[in-house]
Amino acid sequence: MRIGLVCPYQWDVPGGVQYHVRDLAETLQALGHHVEVLTPAEHEESLPPYATFAGRTVPVPYNGSMASLQFGPVSAARVRRWLRDGRFDVVHVHEPASPSVSLLVCMIATGPVVATFHAATTRSKWLAALAPMVRPWLERVSGRIAVSDFARRLQVEHLGGDAVIIPNGVHVDAFTHGPGLPGITRGVDGPTIGFLGRFDEPRKGLPVLLEAMRTVVRQHPGARLLVAGRGDAAELDRLIGPDLRPHVALLGTISEKEKGAFLRSVDVYCAPNLLGESFGVILIEALAAGAPIVASDLDAFARVLEDGNAGVLVRRGDAAGLGRALCDLLADPRRLAELAARGPVAAAVYDWQVLARRILAVYETVVLPDGGAVTATDEDHFPGVPPARRQLRSSPRRWAPR
Amino acid sequence: MTPDAWLLVGGVLAVLLLAWVGWTLRRLTRLEARVERAWAALDTQLRRRAGLAEQLARDHPAAVGQDRAPYLAAFAADARDPVDGDRELSENALGRELRELPADLPGVPAALQADLAGTATRVGLARRFYNDAVRDTCALRGQRMPRLLGLHGRRPLPRYFDIDDRLHQVAGAGRGGS
Repeated sequence: MRIGLVCPYQWDVPGGVQYHVRDLAETLQALGHHVEVLTPAEHEESLPPYATFAGRTVPVPYNGSMASLQFGPVSAARVRRWLRDGRFDVVHVHEPASPSVSLLVCMIATGPVVATFHAATTRSKWLAALAPMVRPWLERVSGRIAVSDFARRLQVEHLGGDAVIIPNGVHVDAFTHGPGLPGITRGVDGPTIGFLGRFDEPRKGLPVLLEAMRTVVRQHPGARLLVAGRGDAAELDRLIGPDLRPHVALLGTISEKEKGAFLRSVDVYCAPNLLGESFGVILIEALAAGAPIVASDLDAFARVLEDGNAGVLVRRGDAAGLGRALCDLLADPRRLAELAARGPVAAAVYDWQVLARRILAVYETVVLPDGGAVTATDEDHFPGVPPARRQLRSSPRRWAPR
Repeated sequence: MTPDAWLLVGGVLAVLLLAWVGWTLRRLTRLEARVERAWAALDTQLRRRAGLAEQLARDHPAAVGQDRAPYLAAFAADARDPVDGDRELSENALGRELRELPADLPGVPAALQADLAGTATRVGLARRFYNDAVRDTCALRGQRMPRLLGLHGRRPLPRYFDIDDRLHQVAGAGRGGS
Protein backbone atom coordinates (compact mmCIF):
# COMPACT_ATOMS: atom_id res chain seq x y z
CA MET A 1 0.00 0.00 0.00
CA ARG A 2 1.25 3.52 -0.72
CA ILE A 3 0.75 5.60 2.39
CA GLY A 4 1.33 9.31 2.90
CA LEU A 5 1.71 10.54 6.47
CA VAL A 6 1.46 14.22 7.37
CA CYS A 7 3.04 15.65 10.50
CA PRO A 8 2.02 19.23 11.34
CA TYR A 9 4.86 19.97 13.76
CA GLN A 10 8.52 20.55 13.04
CA TRP A 11 10.20 17.19 12.67
CA ASP A 12 13.42 18.13 14.45
CA VAL A 13 11.68 19.48 17.56
CA PRO A 14 10.96 16.79 20.17
CA GLY A 15 7.28 16.08 20.58
CA GLY A 16 4.77 13.30 20.98
CA VAL A 17 3.12 13.73 17.59
CA GLN A 18 6.47 13.75 15.78
CA TYR A 19 7.58 10.54 17.51
CA HIS A 20 4.23 8.97 16.75
CA VAL A 21 4.51 9.74 13.03
CA ARG A 22 8.13 8.60 12.90
CA ASP A 23 7.45 5.30 14.67
CA LEU A 24 4.34 4.64 12.62
CA ALA A 25 6.19 5.36 9.37
CA GLU A 26 9.07 3.07 10.26
CA THR A 27 6.82 0.26 11.49
CA LEU A 28 4.70 0.39 8.35
CA GLN A 29 7.82 0.36 6.20
CA ALA A 30 9.06 -2.70 8.04
CA LEU A 31 5.72 -4.34 7.24
CA GLY A 32 6.50 -3.81 3.56
CA HIS A 33 4.48 -0.70 2.72
CA HIS A 34 5.63 2.34 0.84
CA VAL A 35 5.48 5.24 3.30
CA GLU A 36 6.26 8.90 2.77
CA VAL A 37 6.03 11.72 5.28
CA LEU A 38 5.30 15.39 4.67
CA THR A 39 6.44 17.56 7.52
CA PRO A 40 7.75 21.00 8.36
CA ALA A 41 11.18 21.18 9.95
CA GLU A 42 13.60 23.72 11.28
CA HIS A 43 16.46 22.26 9.25
CA GLU A 44 15.63 20.54 6.02
CA GLU A 45 18.74 18.37 6.21
CA SER A 46 17.57 16.75 9.46
CA LEU A 47 14.83 14.87 7.63
CA PRO A 48 15.08 11.13 6.98
CA PRO A 49 15.02 10.00 3.33
CA TYR A 50 11.32 9.13 3.37
CA ALA A 51 10.27 12.62 4.52
CA THR A 52 9.52 15.64 2.35
CA PHE A 53 10.20 19.13 3.60
CA ALA A 54 7.05 21.25 3.88
CA GLY A 55 8.62 24.53 4.95
CA ARG A 56 8.96 26.10 8.35
CA THR A 57 6.19 26.88 10.78
CA VAL A 58 5.46 30.18 12.47
CA PRO A 59 5.45 29.72 16.23
CA VAL A 60 2.47 31.33 17.95
CA PRO A 61 2.23 31.50 21.72
CA TYR A 62 -0.88 29.66 22.76
CA ASN A 63 -2.15 28.21 25.99
CA GLY A 64 1.17 28.42 27.77
CA SER A 65 3.19 26.72 25.05
CA MET A 66 3.88 27.30 21.38
CA ALA A 67 1.55 26.27 18.62
CA SER A 68 3.01 26.19 15.18
CA LEU A 69 1.11 27.67 12.28
CA GLN A 70 1.75 27.12 8.65
CA PHE A 71 -0.48 28.36 5.92
CA GLY A 72 -0.42 30.13 2.62
CA PRO A 73 0.14 29.62 -1.09
CA VAL A 74 3.74 28.39 -0.86
CA SER A 75 2.87 25.66 1.60
CA ALA A 76 -0.22 24.83 -0.45
CA ALA A 77 1.92 24.40 -3.56
CA ARG A 78 4.26 22.07 -1.71
CA VAL A 79 1.32 20.03 -0.45
CA ARG A 80 -0.16 19.82 -3.92
CA ARG A 81 3.12 18.66 -5.44
CA TRP A 82 3.63 16.05 -2.71
CA LEU A 83 0.13 14.67 -3.22
CA ARG A 84 0.48 14.53 -7.01
CA ASP A 85 3.94 12.96 -6.95
CA GLY A 86 3.11 10.50 -4.18
CA ARG A 87 0.04 8.83 -5.77
CA PHE A 88 -0.92 7.50 -2.35
CA ASP A 89 -3.65 4.96 -1.76
CA VAL A 90 -4.38 6.71 1.49
CA VAL A 91 -3.19 9.87 3.20
CA HIS A 92 -3.03 9.95 6.98
CA VAL A 93 -2.94 13.44 8.54
CA HIS A 94 -2.21 14.14 12.19
CA GLU A 95 -3.81 16.82 14.31
CA PRO A 96 -5.60 18.52 11.39
CA ALA A 97 -7.76 20.94 13.40
CA SER A 98 -5.27 23.82 13.50
CA PRO A 99 -3.98 25.82 10.55
CA SER A 100 -1.13 23.58 9.60
CA VAL A 101 0.13 21.51 6.74
CA SER A 102 -2.29 18.79 7.91
CA LEU A 103 -5.29 21.04 7.38
CA LEU A 104 -3.89 22.06 3.99
CA VAL A 105 -3.78 18.42 2.99
CA CYS A 106 -7.43 18.02 4.06
CA MET A 107 -8.28 21.02 1.87
CA ILE A 108 -6.40 19.91 -1.19
CA ALA A 109 -6.54 16.13 -1.22
CA THR A 110 -9.28 14.19 -2.93
CA GLY A 111 -9.59 10.54 -2.04
CA PRO A 112 -9.34 8.55 1.15
CA VAL A 113 -8.00 10.67 4.02
CA VAL A 114 -7.55 9.35 7.55
CA ALA A 115 -6.98 11.74 10.45
CA THR A 116 -5.58 11.15 13.92
CA PHE A 117 -6.45 13.52 16.74
CA HIS A 118 -3.91 13.73 19.56
CA ALA A 119 -4.82 16.79 21.63
CA ALA A 120 -6.91 16.39 24.73
CA THR A 121 -7.05 19.90 26.18
CA THR A 122 -10.60 20.17 27.36
CA ARG A 123 -11.03 23.93 27.49
CA SER A 124 -9.60 25.09 24.24
CA LYS A 125 -11.02 28.47 23.25
CA TRP A 126 -8.73 28.39 20.27
CA LEU A 127 -10.21 25.19 18.95
CA ALA A 128 -13.74 26.31 19.79
CA ALA A 129 -13.22 29.48 17.75
CA LEU A 130 -11.62 27.66 14.85
CA ALA A 131 -14.01 24.74 14.75
CA PRO A 132 -16.73 26.26 12.53
CA MET A 133 -14.08 27.36 10.03
CA VAL A 134 -12.21 24.08 10.03
CA ARG A 135 -15.25 21.83 10.01
CA PRO A 136 -16.09 22.03 6.30
CA TRP A 137 -12.59 20.77 5.54
CA LEU A 138 -12.64 18.01 8.07
CA GLU A 139 -15.77 16.72 6.35
CA ARG A 140 -13.44 15.26 3.77
CA VAL A 141 -11.80 12.96 6.27
CA SER A 142 -13.23 9.49 5.80
CA GLY A 143 -11.77 7.83 8.88
CA ARG A 144 -11.05 9.50 12.20
CA ILE A 145 -8.78 8.10 14.89
CA ALA A 146 -8.28 9.45 18.40
CA VAL A 147 -5.32 8.41 20.53
CA SER A 148 -7.30 8.36 23.77
CA ASP A 149 -10.79 8.67 25.17
CA PHE A 150 -9.98 12.27 26.01
CA ALA A 151 -8.83 13.12 22.53
CA ARG A 152 -12.01 11.50 21.24
CA ARG A 153 -14.18 13.47 23.63
CA LEU A 154 -12.57 16.71 22.47
CA GLN A 155 -13.17 15.72 18.90
CA VAL A 156 -16.83 14.88 19.56
CA GLU A 157 -17.49 18.06 21.51
CA HIS A 158 -15.71 20.59 19.33
CA LEU A 159 -15.72 19.14 15.87
CA GLY A 160 -18.85 17.04 15.97
CA GLY A 161 -17.53 13.74 14.70
CA ASP A 162 -16.86 10.34 16.12
CA ALA A 163 -13.51 8.57 16.12
CA VAL A 164 -12.13 5.13 16.73
CA ILE A 165 -9.57 4.92 19.48
CA ILE A 166 -6.13 3.63 18.63
CA PRO A 167 -3.66 4.59 21.34
CA ASN A 168 -0.11 5.86 21.08
CA GLY A 169 2.46 3.17 20.53
CA VAL A 170 5.75 2.09 21.98
CA HIS A 171 8.43 -0.22 20.60
CA VAL A 172 7.97 -2.63 23.50
CA ASP A 173 10.95 -4.81 22.62
CA ALA A 174 13.36 -1.90 22.56
CA PHE A 175 12.41 -1.07 26.14
CA THR A 176 12.19 -4.60 27.48
CA HIS A 177 15.64 -5.73 26.39
CA GLY A 178 18.87 -3.84 26.66
CA PRO A 179 21.53 -2.71 29.10
CA GLY A 180 20.86 -0.64 32.19
CA LEU A 181 22.52 2.56 33.34
CA PRO A 182 26.13 1.97 34.44
CA GLY A 183 26.40 1.70 38.19
CA ILE A 184 22.71 1.30 38.83
CA THR A 185 21.17 -2.15 38.74
CA ARG A 186 17.63 -2.97 39.64
CA GLY A 187 17.36 -4.65 43.00
CA VAL A 188 21.05 -4.21 43.84
CA ASP A 189 22.14 -0.64 44.49
CA GLY A 190 19.85 0.53 47.28
CA PRO A 191 16.31 1.14 46.17
CA THR A 192 16.20 3.71 43.36
CA ILE A 193 13.13 5.67 42.36
CA GLY A 194 12.96 7.21 38.91
CA PHE A 195 11.31 10.41 37.74
CA LEU A 196 11.37 11.62 34.17
CA GLY A 197 9.99 14.86 32.77
CA ARG A 198 10.37 18.62 32.88
CA PHE A 199 10.92 18.93 36.58
CA ASP A 200 10.27 22.66 36.79
CA GLU A 201 6.72 22.25 35.49
CA PRO A 202 4.53 22.09 38.60
CA ARG A 203 1.96 19.89 36.87
CA LYS A 204 4.54 17.12 36.59
CA GLY A 205 4.35 16.96 40.38
CA LEU A 206 8.03 16.62 41.36
CA PRO A 207 7.55 18.69 44.58
CA VAL A 208 4.99 16.12 45.75
CA LEU A 209 7.44 13.32 45.09
CA LEU A 210 10.24 15.16 46.94
CA GLU A 211 7.94 15.57 49.93
CA ALA A 212 7.13 11.87 49.76
CA MET A 213 10.86 11.04 49.55
CA ARG A 214 11.29 12.43 53.09
CA THR A 215 9.03 9.63 54.31
CA VAL A 216 10.75 7.06 52.12
CA VAL A 217 14.32 7.78 53.29
CA ARG A 218 13.21 7.42 56.90
CA GLN A 219 12.31 3.78 56.23
CA HIS A 220 14.80 3.06 53.46
CA PRO A 221 17.92 5.06 54.30
CA GLY A 222 19.65 3.91 51.13
CA ALA A 223 16.85 5.10 48.82
CA ARG A 224 17.78 7.39 45.98
CA LEU A 225 15.67 9.47 43.62
CA LEU A 226 16.95 9.76 40.05
CA VAL A 227 15.57 12.80 38.26
CA ALA A 228 15.91 12.87 34.48
CA GLY A 229 14.69 15.61 32.18
CA ARG A 230 15.06 19.28 31.45
CA GLY A 231 14.62 22.13 33.88
CA ASP A 232 16.28 24.70 36.10
CA ALA A 233 18.77 22.77 38.26
CA ALA A 234 19.37 25.63 40.74
CA GLU A 235 15.67 25.98 41.36
CA LEU A 236 15.39 22.25 41.94
CA ASP A 237 18.32 22.28 44.33
CA ARG A 238 16.54 24.83 46.51
CA LEU A 239 13.47 22.62 46.52
CA ILE A 240 15.47 19.55 47.50
CA GLY A 241 17.00 21.09 50.59
CA PRO A 242 19.97 19.83 52.58
CA ASP A 243 18.17 16.87 54.14
CA LEU A 244 17.37 15.24 50.82
CA ARG A 245 20.47 16.26 48.89
CA PRO A 246 22.37 12.98 49.40
CA HIS A 247 19.32 11.08 48.20
CA VAL A 248 18.64 12.87 44.95
CA ALA A 249 20.67 12.56 41.76
CA LEU A 250 20.05 14.84 38.80
CA LEU A 251 20.73 13.14 35.47
CA GLY A 252 19.74 16.05 33.21
CA THR A 253 18.36 15.55 29.72
CA ILE A 254 18.64 11.97 28.51
CA SER A 255 18.42 10.57 25.00
CA GLU A 256 15.89 8.01 23.79
CA LYS A 257 18.45 5.22 24.26
CA GLU A 258 19.37 6.36 27.74
CA LYS A 259 15.68 6.58 28.59
CA GLY A 260 15.32 2.83 28.05
CA ALA A 261 18.40 2.15 30.16
CA PHE A 262 17.11 4.50 32.84
CA LEU A 263 13.74 2.73 32.99
CA ARG A 264 15.40 -0.70 33.07
CA SER A 265 17.60 0.37 35.98
CA VAL A 266 15.26 1.96 38.50
CA ASP A 267 13.50 -0.12 41.14
CA VAL A 268 10.33 1.94 40.94
CA TYR A 269 9.22 4.49 38.38
CA CYS A 270 7.14 7.28 39.83
CA ALA A 271 4.75 9.55 37.87
CA PRO A 272 3.36 12.01 40.42
CA ASN A 273 1.68 14.22 37.78
CA LEU A 274 -0.99 16.55 39.09
CA LEU A 275 -3.10 17.10 36.00
CA GLY A 276 -3.86 16.87 32.36
CA GLU A 277 -1.91 14.12 30.67
CA SER A 278 -3.75 12.99 27.57
CA PHE A 279 -1.89 9.77 27.43
CA GLY A 280 0.89 8.30 29.48
CA VAL A 281 3.37 7.12 26.86
CA ILE A 282 6.11 7.22 29.47
CA LEU A 283 4.10 4.81 31.64
CA ILE A 284 3.85 2.35 28.78
CA GLU A 285 7.59 2.65 28.24
CA ALA A 286 8.16 2.01 31.94
CA LEU A 287 5.83 -0.99 31.83
CA ALA A 288 7.69 -2.35 28.82
CA ALA A 289 10.99 -1.90 30.65
CA GLY A 290 9.61 -3.89 33.57
CA ALA A 291 9.78 -1.00 36.00
CA PRO A 292 7.20 -1.24 38.79
CA ILE A 293 5.16 1.98 38.69
CA VAL A 294 3.66 4.25 41.29
CA ALA A 295 1.54 6.90 39.58
CA SER A 296 -1.10 9.45 40.46
CA ASP A 297 -4.67 8.48 39.70
CA LEU A 298 -5.18 10.56 36.55
CA ASP A 299 -7.75 8.96 34.25
CA ALA A 300 -5.17 8.42 31.51
CA PHE A 301 -2.75 6.76 33.92
CA ALA A 302 -5.42 4.59 35.51
CA ARG A 303 -6.32 3.31 32.06
CA VAL A 304 -2.75 2.41 31.16
CA LEU A 305 -2.21 0.77 34.55
CA GLU A 306 -5.44 -1.23 34.22
CA ASP A 307 -6.98 0.50 37.24
CA GLY A 308 -4.14 -0.54 39.51
CA ASN A 309 -3.50 -4.07 38.28
CA ALA A 310 -0.33 -3.17 36.43
CA GLY A 311 0.92 -0.51 38.85
CA VAL A 312 0.14 1.32 42.06
CA LEU A 313 -2.19 4.33 41.85
CA VAL A 314 -2.21 7.04 44.51
CA ARG A 315 -4.37 10.12 44.95
CA ARG A 316 -2.88 13.00 42.99
CA GLY A 317 -1.07 15.63 45.05
CA ASP A 318 -1.14 13.49 48.21
CA ALA A 319 2.49 13.43 49.37
CA ALA A 320 1.80 11.34 52.46
CA GLY A 321 -0.12 8.75 50.44
CA LEU A 322 2.60 8.66 47.80
CA GLY A 323 5.28 8.19 50.48
CA ARG A 324 3.34 5.35 52.04
CA ALA A 325 2.77 3.66 48.71
CA LEU A 326 6.48 3.89 47.80
CA CYS A 327 7.57 2.54 51.20
CA ASP A 328 5.13 -0.34 51.08
CA LEU A 329 6.12 -1.27 47.54
CA LEU A 330 9.87 -1.09 48.20
CA ALA A 331 9.41 -3.31 51.25
CA ASP A 332 7.53 -5.96 49.28
CA PRO A 333 9.88 -7.80 46.90
CA ARG A 334 7.16 -10.20 45.84
CA ARG A 335 4.88 -7.40 44.66
CA LEU A 336 7.83 -5.73 42.93
CA ALA A 337 8.65 -8.90 41.01
CA GLU A 338 5.00 -9.39 40.14
CA LEU A 339 4.67 -5.87 38.75
CA ALA A 340 7.95 -6.18 36.85
CA ALA A 341 6.68 -9.36 35.18
CA ARG A 342 3.24 -7.91 34.50
CA GLY A 343 4.63 -4.77 32.83
CA PRO A 344 5.71 -6.08 29.41
CA VAL A 345 2.45 -8.05 29.16
CA ALA A 346 0.38 -4.97 29.89
CA ALA A 347 2.46 -2.94 27.44
CA ALA A 348 2.05 -5.49 24.65
CA VAL A 349 -1.29 -4.05 23.49
CA TYR A 350 0.51 -0.74 22.87
CA ASP A 351 3.27 -2.29 20.81
CA TRP A 352 3.70 -0.64 17.43
CA GLN A 353 3.50 -4.02 15.72
CA VAL A 354 -0.03 -4.42 17.07
CA LEU A 355 -1.11 -0.81 16.60
CA ALA A 356 0.28 -0.50 13.09
CA ARG A 357 -1.90 -3.44 12.07
CA ARG A 358 -4.93 -1.79 13.62
CA ILE A 359 -4.14 1.40 11.75
CA LEU A 360 -3.72 -0.62 8.56
CA ALA A 361 -7.19 -2.06 9.15
CA VAL A 362 -8.46 1.53 9.19
CA TYR A 363 -6.67 2.25 5.90
CA GLU A 364 -8.09 -0.89 4.32
CA THR A 365 -11.56 0.11 5.45
CA VAL A 366 -11.48 3.54 3.81
CA VAL A 367 -9.66 2.49 0.64
CA LEU A 368 -12.07 0.98 -1.85
CA PRO A 369 -10.70 -1.67 -4.22
CA ASP A 370 -11.39 0.44 -7.31
CA GLY A 371 -11.30 3.79 -5.54
CA GLY A 372 -8.16 5.14 -7.15
CA ALA A 373 -5.33 7.02 -5.52
CA VAL A 374 -5.33 10.22 -3.52
CA THR A 375 -4.55 13.25 -5.60
CA ALA A 376 -4.81 17.01 -5.38
CA THR A 377 -7.90 18.98 -6.36
CA ASP A 378 -7.77 21.46 -9.15
CA GLU A 379 -6.75 24.83 -7.94
CA ASP A 380 -10.17 26.43 -8.32
CA HIS A 381 -11.38 24.10 -5.64
CA PHE A 382 -9.31 25.91 -3.12
CA PRO A 383 -10.83 29.23 -2.11
CA GLY A 384 -8.91 31.39 0.29
CA VAL A 385 -5.51 30.75 -1.17
CA PRO A 386 -5.29 32.22 -4.64
CA PRO A 387 -3.41 30.08 -7.13
CA ALA A 388 -0.72 32.65 -7.58
CA ARG A 389 0.80 31.99 -10.98
CA ARG A 390 -1.72 29.95 -12.83
CA GLN A 391 -4.68 32.18 -12.09
CA LEU A 392 -4.50 34.44 -15.13
CA ARG A 393 -3.83 31.71 -17.56
CA SER A 394 -6.54 29.44 -16.30
CA SER A 395 -9.21 31.96 -15.45
CA PRO A 396 -11.38 31.43 -18.54
CA ARG A 397 -11.57 27.75 -17.71
CA ARG A 398 -12.48 28.28 -14.10
CA TRP A 399 -16.19 28.41 -14.81
CA ALA A 400 -16.23 25.57 -17.23
CA PRO A 401 -18.69 22.86 -16.20
CA ARG A 402 -17.00 19.99 -14.47
CA MET B 1 -27.03 56.58 -0.30
CA THR B 2 -27.57 56.96 -4.00
CA PRO B 3 -29.38 54.25 -5.93
CA ASP B 4 -26.04 53.32 -7.48
CA ALA B 5 -24.54 52.59 -4.09
CA TRP B 6 -27.54 50.49 -3.13
CA LEU B 7 -27.18 48.60 -6.36
CA LEU B 8 -23.54 48.01 -5.57
CA VAL B 9 -24.28 46.76 -2.04
CA GLY B 10 -27.04 44.52 -3.41
CA GLY B 11 -24.71 43.20 -6.07
CA VAL B 12 -21.99 42.43 -3.58
CA LEU B 13 -24.48 40.65 -1.34
CA ALA B 14 -25.81 38.63 -4.25
CA VAL B 15 -22.31 37.59 -5.26
CA LEU B 16 -21.51 36.58 -1.69
CA LEU B 17 -24.73 34.59 -1.46
CA LEU B 18 -24.00 32.89 -4.77
CA ALA B 19 -20.47 32.03 -3.69
CA TRP B 20 -21.79 30.61 -0.44
CA VAL B 21 -24.46 28.58 -2.25
CA GLY B 22 -21.88 27.19 -4.65
CA TRP B 23 -19.56 26.32 -1.80
CA THR B 24 -22.32 24.62 0.17
CA LEU B 25 -23.47 22.68 -2.87
CA ARG B 26 -19.96 21.42 -3.31
CA ARG B 27 -19.81 20.39 0.34
CA LEU B 28 -23.07 18.50 -0.05
CA THR B 29 -21.87 16.73 -3.17
CA ARG B 30 -18.65 15.80 -1.46
CA LEU B 31 -20.47 14.51 1.59
CA GLU B 32 -22.81 12.49 -0.58
CA ALA B 33 -19.82 10.87 -2.25
CA ARG B 34 -18.28 10.18 1.14
CA VAL B 35 -21.48 8.56 2.44
CA GLU B 36 -21.57 6.42 -0.70
CA ARG B 37 -17.95 5.37 -0.33
CA ALA B 38 -18.41 4.62 3.37
CA TRP B 39 -21.51 2.58 2.61
CA ALA B 40 -19.71 0.65 -0.10
CA ALA B 41 -16.96 -0.17 2.39
CA LEU B 42 -19.42 -1.23 5.08
CA ASP B 43 -21.44 -3.30 2.62
CA THR B 44 -18.27 -5.03 1.40
CA GLN B 45 -17.25 -5.94 4.93
CA LEU B 46 -20.72 -7.16 5.89
CA ARG B 47 -20.91 -9.33 2.77
CA ARG B 48 -17.48 -10.66 3.48
CA ARG B 49 -18.51 -11.54 6.98
CA ALA B 50 -21.62 -13.34 5.74
CA GLY B 51 -19.51 -15.20 3.16
CA LEU B 52 -17.00 -16.32 5.79
CA ALA B 53 -19.81 -17.43 8.09
CA GLU B 54 -21.33 -19.49 5.29
CA GLN B 55 -17.97 -21.03 4.52
CA LEU B 56 -17.48 -21.86 8.17
CA ALA B 57 -20.91 -23.48 8.48
CA ARG B 58 -20.46 -25.43 5.24
CA ASP B 59 -16.87 -26.65 5.63
CA HIS B 60 -16.48 -27.00 9.38
CA PRO B 61 -19.83 -27.98 10.89
CA ALA B 62 -18.08 -30.09 13.53
CA ALA B 63 -16.09 -27.17 14.87
CA VAL B 64 -19.12 -24.92 14.97
CA GLY B 65 -21.29 -27.63 16.51
CA GLN B 66 -23.70 -29.79 14.51
CA ASP B 67 -26.75 -28.11 16.01
CA ARG B 68 -25.38 -24.63 15.44
CA ALA B 69 -24.12 -24.94 11.88
CA PRO B 70 -27.53 -24.87 10.12
CA TYR B 71 -28.49 -21.76 12.10
CA LEU B 72 -25.24 -20.07 11.22
CA ALA B 73 -25.76 -20.86 7.53
CA ALA B 74 -29.34 -19.61 7.69
CA PHE B 75 -28.38 -16.37 9.43
CA ALA B 76 -25.57 -15.78 6.95
CA ALA B 77 -27.96 -16.30 4.03
CA ASP B 78 -30.47 -13.98 5.65
CA ALA B 79 -27.79 -11.31 6.14
CA ARG B 80 -26.91 -11.47 2.46
CA ASP B 81 -30.52 -11.13 1.43
CA PRO B 82 -32.82 -10.16 4.30
CA VAL B 83 -36.24 -11.76 3.96
CA ASP B 84 -38.13 -8.91 5.56
CA GLY B 85 -35.79 -6.27 4.16
CA ASP B 86 -34.39 -5.30 7.55
CA ARG B 87 -30.66 -5.51 7.05
CA GLU B 88 -29.79 -4.29 10.54
CA LEU B 89 -31.84 -7.01 12.17
CA SER B 90 -30.31 -9.76 10.03
CA GLU B 91 -26.77 -8.50 10.57
CA ASN B 92 -27.40 -8.32 14.30
CA ALA B 93 -28.56 -11.93 14.34
CA LEU B 94 -25.50 -13.04 12.38
CA GLY B 95 -23.18 -11.01 14.58
CA ARG B 96 -24.66 -12.55 17.72
CA GLU B 97 -24.34 -16.03 16.28
CA LEU B 98 -20.68 -15.43 15.38
CA ARG B 99 -19.89 -14.05 18.82
CA GLU B 100 -21.41 -17.10 20.47
CA LEU B 101 -19.16 -19.51 18.58
CA PRO B 102 -16.69 -21.44 20.71
CA ALA B 103 -13.54 -19.39 21.08
CA ASP B 104 -10.96 -21.82 19.71
CA LEU B 105 -12.89 -23.48 16.81
CA PRO B 106 -10.88 -26.74 16.65
CA GLY B 107 -9.89 -27.86 13.17
CA VAL B 108 -10.66 -24.56 11.48
CA PRO B 109 -7.67 -23.22 9.50
CA ALA B 110 -5.92 -20.31 11.20
CA ALA B 111 -6.33 -18.21 8.06
CA LEU B 112 -10.11 -18.48 8.20
CA GLN B 113 -10.16 -17.67 11.90
CA ALA B 114 -7.94 -14.64 11.35
CA ASP B 115 -10.18 -13.57 8.48
CA LEU B 116 -13.24 -13.81 10.70
CA ALA B 117 -11.63 -11.78 13.48
CA GLY B 118 -10.33 -9.23 10.98
CA THR B 119 -13.72 -8.84 9.37
CA ALA B 120 -15.35 -8.31 12.76
CA THR B 121 -12.92 -5.46 13.42
CA ARG B 122 -13.43 -4.00 9.98
CA VAL B 123 -17.22 -4.14 10.23
CA GLY B 124 -16.88 -2.09 13.41
CA LEU B 125 -14.55 0.41 11.79
CA ALA B 126 -16.55 0.71 8.58
CA ARG B 127 -19.77 1.18 10.50
CA ARG B 128 -18.30 3.92 12.62
CA PHE B 129 -16.94 5.72 9.56
CA TYR B 130 -20.25 5.36 7.75
CA ASN B 131 -22.24 6.75 10.65
CA ASP B 132 -19.71 9.54 10.91
CA ALA B 133 -20.29 10.47 7.28
CA VAL B 134 -24.05 10.36 7.84
CA ARG B 135 -23.68 12.56 10.91
CA ASP B 136 -21.68 15.17 8.99
CA THR B 137 -24.29 15.18 6.22
CA CYS B 138 -27.16 15.54 8.66
CA ALA B 139 -25.35 18.35 10.48
CA LEU B 140 -24.90 20.36 7.29
CA ARG B 141 -28.38 19.68 5.99
CA GLY B 142 -29.85 20.55 9.37
CA GLN B 143 -28.47 24.09 9.25
CA ARG B 144 -31.06 26.79 8.66
CA MET B 145 -29.83 28.24 5.38
CA PRO B 146 -29.20 25.00 3.47
CA ARG B 147 -32.55 23.70 4.68
CA LEU B 148 -34.52 26.81 3.70
CA LEU B 149 -32.91 26.96 0.29
CA GLY B 150 -33.36 23.24 -0.22
CA LEU B 151 -29.79 22.91 -1.40
CA HIS B 152 -29.84 19.14 -1.02
CA GLY B 153 -32.23 18.87 -3.97
CA ARG B 154 -33.96 15.55 -4.16
CA ARG B 155 -31.36 13.54 -2.34
CA PRO B 156 -32.85 11.48 0.46
CA LEU B 157 -31.41 11.97 3.91
CA PRO B 158 -28.91 9.14 4.53
CA ARG B 159 -29.79 6.74 7.35
CA TYR B 160 -27.62 5.69 10.23
CA PHE B 161 -26.75 2.02 10.30
CA ASP B 162 -27.05 0.68 13.81
CA ILE B 163 -26.02 -2.82 14.70
CA ASP B 164 -24.44 -4.25 17.80
CA ASP B 165 -20.88 -4.97 16.72
CA ARG B 166 -19.30 -4.59 20.16
CA LEU B 167 -17.43 -1.60 18.91
CA HIS B 168 -16.06 -0.74 22.33
CA GLN B 169 -14.18 -4.03 22.16
CA VAL B 170 -13.08 -3.49 18.63
CA ALA B 171 -12.03 0.10 18.99
CA GLY B 172 -11.67 0.62 22.71
CA ALA B 173 -8.51 2.05 24.18
CA GLY B 174 -5.71 -0.40 24.12
CA ARG B 175 -7.86 -3.50 24.04
CA GLY B 176 -8.93 -5.78 21.24
CA GLY B 177 -7.09 -5.54 17.97
CA SER B 178 -7.37 -7.04 14.57
